[in-house]
Amino acid sequence: MGIFGFYLKKLYTIFKGEVLVLPSRVVVVLFVLALIFLPVFTENQYLLRIMVLTSIFAIFAASWDLLSGFTGQMNFGHALFFGVGAYTTALVNLHAHLPPWASIPLGALAAVLAGLIIGIPCLRLKGTYLALTTLSFPIILIGLVYSFPDLTGGELGLSGLDRLSGSRLSDYYITAGLMLGLCTIMWKITESNTGTIFHAIREDEVAVRASGINTTRYKLLAFCLSGFFAGISGGLYAHFMRIAGPSTLDMSMSFTVIIWAIFGGIVTIYGPVAAVFILYPLMEFFQLWPEYRMLLFAAVVLFTLLYMPDGLIPWLRDKAETECPRCKVKNIATRKKCRICTADLD
Amino acid sequence: MILDILMNGLITGSTYALLAIGFSLIFGVARIVNIAHTAFYMVASYIIYFCIQKLGLHPLWASLVAVIVVTLAGLVSYKFFIDPIREHEGAVLIATIALAMAMQEILLLIFKGDYLTVPSLISGYLSIFGVKVFYQQILTFGMALLILAALWALLMKTRLGLAIRSTAEDREVANLMGMDESRVAMMTMGISVGLAGLTGVVIVPLTTLSPFMWMNPLVMMMAVVVLGGLGSIKGSFVGAYILGFAVTLVVFLIPMGAYLKDSVALSIMILVLIIRPEGLFGVRFEEER
Amino acid sequence: MKKITFGLSVLFIIFCAATISIPAWGADVIKIGVIGPMNFLQGKGHWNGALMAQEEINAKGGIQVGDKKMKIKLVKADSNEFMNVTDATNAMERLMTQDKVDFVVGGFRSEAVLAMQDIAMDYKKVFIGCGAAHPELCTRVAKDYDRYKYFFRGTPFHSGNLVKTCFIQMATVGAILKKELGLPKIKVAIVAEKAMWADPMIKAAEGFIPKMGMEVVGVWRPSATATDVTAELSATQRSGAQMIFTIFSSSVGIPFARQAGELKVPAVQVGINVEAQKDGFYEATQGYGNYVETLNTYCRSVEFNELTKPFIDTYVAKYGETPTYTADTYAAIVYGLAPSIEKAGTIDSDKVLSVLEDSVYKTPSGVVKYTKTKDGKHLHDLTWGPGYTTSLGAQWQDGKLMGTWPTPHWKYKDSPEVNYKGIVPYKIPPWVIDYYKK
Repeated sequence: MGIFGFYLKKLYTIFKGEVLVLPSRVVVVLFVLALIFLPVFTENQYLLRIMVLTSIFAIFAASWDLLSGFTGQMNFGHALFFGVGAYTTALVNLHAHLPPWASIPLGALAAVLAGLIIGIPCLRLKGTYLALTTLSFPIILIGLVYSFPDLTGGELGLSGLDRLSGSRLSDYYITAGLMLGLCTIMWKITESNTGTIFHAIREDEVAVRASGINTTRYKLLAFCLSGFFAGISGGLYAHFMRIAGPSTLDMSMSFTVIIWAIFGGIVTIYGPVAAVFILYPLMEFFQLWPEYRMLLFAAVVLFTLLYMPDGLIPWLRDKAETECPRCKVKNIATRKKCRICTADLD
Repeated sequence: MILDILMNGLITGSTYALLAIGFSLIFGVARIVNIAHTAFYMVASYIIYFCIQKLGLHPLWASLVAVIVVTLAGLVSYKFFIDPIREHEGAVLIATIALAMAMQEILLLIFKGDYLTVPSLISGYLSIFGVKVFYQQILTFGMALLILAALWALLMKTRLGLAIRSTAEDREVANLMGMDESRVAMMTMGISVGLAGLTGVVIVPLTTLSPFMWMNPLVMMMAVVVLGGLGSIKGSFVGAYILGFAVTLVVFLIPMGAYLKDSVALSIMILVLIIRPEGLFGVRFEEER
Repeated sequence: MKKITFGLSVLFIIFCAATISIPAWGADVIKIGVIGPMNFLQGKGHWNGALMAQEEINAKGGIQVGDKKMKIKLVKADSNEFMNVTDATNAMERLMTQDKVDFVVGGFRSEAVLAMQDIAMDYKKVFIGCGAAHPELCTRVAKDYDRYKYFFRGTPFHSGNLVKTCFIQMATVGAILKKELGLPKIKVAIVAEKAMWADPMIKAAEGFIPKMGMEVVGVWRPSATATDVTAELSATQRSGAQMIFTIFSSSVGIPFARQAGELKVPAVQVGINVEAQKDGFYEATQGYGNYVETLNTYCRSVEFNELTKPFIDTYVAKYGETPTYTADTYAAIVYGLAPSIEKAGTIDSDKVLSVLEDSVYKTPSGVVKYTKTKDGKHLHDLTWGPGYTTSLGAQWQDGKLMGTWPTPHWKYKDSPEVNYKGIVPYKIPPWVIDYYKK
């Protein structure tokens, strides 16, 4: 007992006081545990494959939220980062024979560069203009990809890449781990000073500039960060699928990530992640009715939007938690009095 | 060669103009980015195909049916899916994307993925200065101009047109002036989708139908609208012909690179935006609170 | 209320998970996966061909495996490969792990098949590709036999042979043009869709056409999904071309044929036009696609051997349309897999494939013999040529697709003569005759 027991008890108290208090935190803990222990309960390779892809796309969706949700720079061509990351990783892997743990970061860096390149013309654009301009970039890149088929493999793409790791199980843990890690980092960024500035830029850029902050630098930073994380997901995808083709730059890839993110709730980071974890396996489940699959997907999205226009997760959170009017701390909705300051909650 | 480029450019430009103006209208008035605009155009095309090939209707009746059905469909989807969430711009955006996808899937279910065509209204061609031009192309061009003229008359000369223009300029003040803003939005949606349907009528004999045909015009249409300036009808008109000619020039002058026409058009759009961020004739929107 | 909704959602999720993890059927059936773009003609061909095979084999009681008869059970998998390569790989993986198939046939789009092949090889299941022509699919077999030996090409023959067949067709038509119209030297315009598979063909064509005594007057590359090709057509006419070598696999084949017919371009179209292989082509071009010639596999009136007519007739009776080459899943199962399984006496992949790779067997489109590299390594690719598979040159004549090549008594190098039943003479479009006979 003694010291060990003391720390154990402390951990328990913290757990009870901080985590169990709010349903959203409980859900997060359960989610992490479920993710970690899933392979213990099932060896189904197909299920693991779906989870790997879900984790990869979750990183992708969260990176979109960082840019378009928080910083308000509506990016309709997010597939650009994904594709640049995937292709660069593939090229580096095939020609320089670098293993995945080196080629993927290089792919991400290339995506950062892409972020800079497209961020600069987008600085003066707002709203829909920005959205439509960003839409063009992946299309232009696809044109370039087809123009140099010897380098990029044209519409067949680059194949024969190394595996991500030795087995499906380690693939799963790598992607799930990276997803948890990177999304936590993204979340931390949004909670930091930089994140606050991003959010402020979205709300009122003129005011931010009037406060003396160089919004250009922060906007470019948002593009680059978002590009970095999206590039990592692109690289992971290339190595997992062992092929990097023009389908990674497709317009439907850009649109799908926007749907996921808005469905889950923008300006949250965890919203898009949750959306991907709900929608992607759902799509695979819909494989039971292959002709109606996309139609069901569109229907799910449309009807969810009618009732939860801010996104699924914020709506759920709203139902489950209330904010104390006096001390602004979140409480579980069933409480009558705030847990910190005992003010009335209603 | 010059004549080829001229004819082709005019026709391509007219196609873009028809689509872009409809899109621009609904954006100007209701601030809705209707991604499903070209999807409505696709639905109209399929209805025409169905009427002509399966029901044996005369093309004129088929066109009428198509435009009416599509306009109704547009109004219904607006009322049920978009109007309730109009205040949430992000939600409206993906709602229209989801609508477009739904239309694509429904058409895929009914007509499968094979390519279909519709016979020309007037077959044959004539030679103008040695250049072969289809009668159908001339018809398309003529009809496009006619529709554009009718639209201009509607917007400039009628009370509804005045209401639309003023709501587009400033929604709140128009409301103050006694115009029922949501009714105007509804009517604009009807006109916009009707335009999309008419575009289908006009272009369908020249093109091949497939459930995925909405994606390519979507990009070009948005490029035109952005280039011309969002909310500006004149801008969409001018932008349409600029990009129409750009695309035609690429196809004629670089035969090996005809597939690059989209990329070139989009690059032009980006270049213009760098110099003038609100497009050629666009209005700088003040922050709407 | 909230608790009930919550409970229901949990139940729903458990139900989903359960459905996905429930393993497949019982034993004593051979499960064959059929994977393809099921919403499109190619995937339908995959499925219909396989279905015909299943019905025929099960009607006889099944395949004799050792001392018992096992029936075939097909598993449909929509690869959605035109839209989404990820979907295709997921579908293949599902076939392997959820449905636990024993064999797979199908595949169409080369980019997707390259990825799907890897997955099938991971699980060591025999995969017969029925649609992708990329040579790499089979060169992989030679390079890494132990891993890729499970892959066989069912159809079509690889793109290098496609090119060869096109050239022979062009030479045949060119000779007819020369003779009938009195043209000294045939001018050829190459119009190829912008797609990777066409690139080596163009290069080969530019090199080979002069050797055939004809002249290349230009190369045009419209987008594969272009709907208006008047630019290219005006340009080819201005160049004085009398023959247009078409390399189309996508939708551009329809507007090209239609507009060329409407404009009465004074040139004949020969080459590859996949849309022209479909029954609906004539209607899709509003009749203007008449006289278009394309490489094809099956024509209703042509018989390669005694197996062809029964196959085509049964297919047409069942499905109302001529089979395209993807329906060779039928041949892959009935003449390839079934006999090999019987001979091997087991459904074990390794044993079956070693029987299959050495067999030479007849199919409705010819004779299948698997190729080897010069140093004897297995390629599992199709042998091309008289006596094996040559495919057809087919021309649309008055609304019907008729076989016009190989012409009777055709010989290739020192092969025996080829005489397929049902070949008719090639017809030059009347407006071309009028234009040149002035």
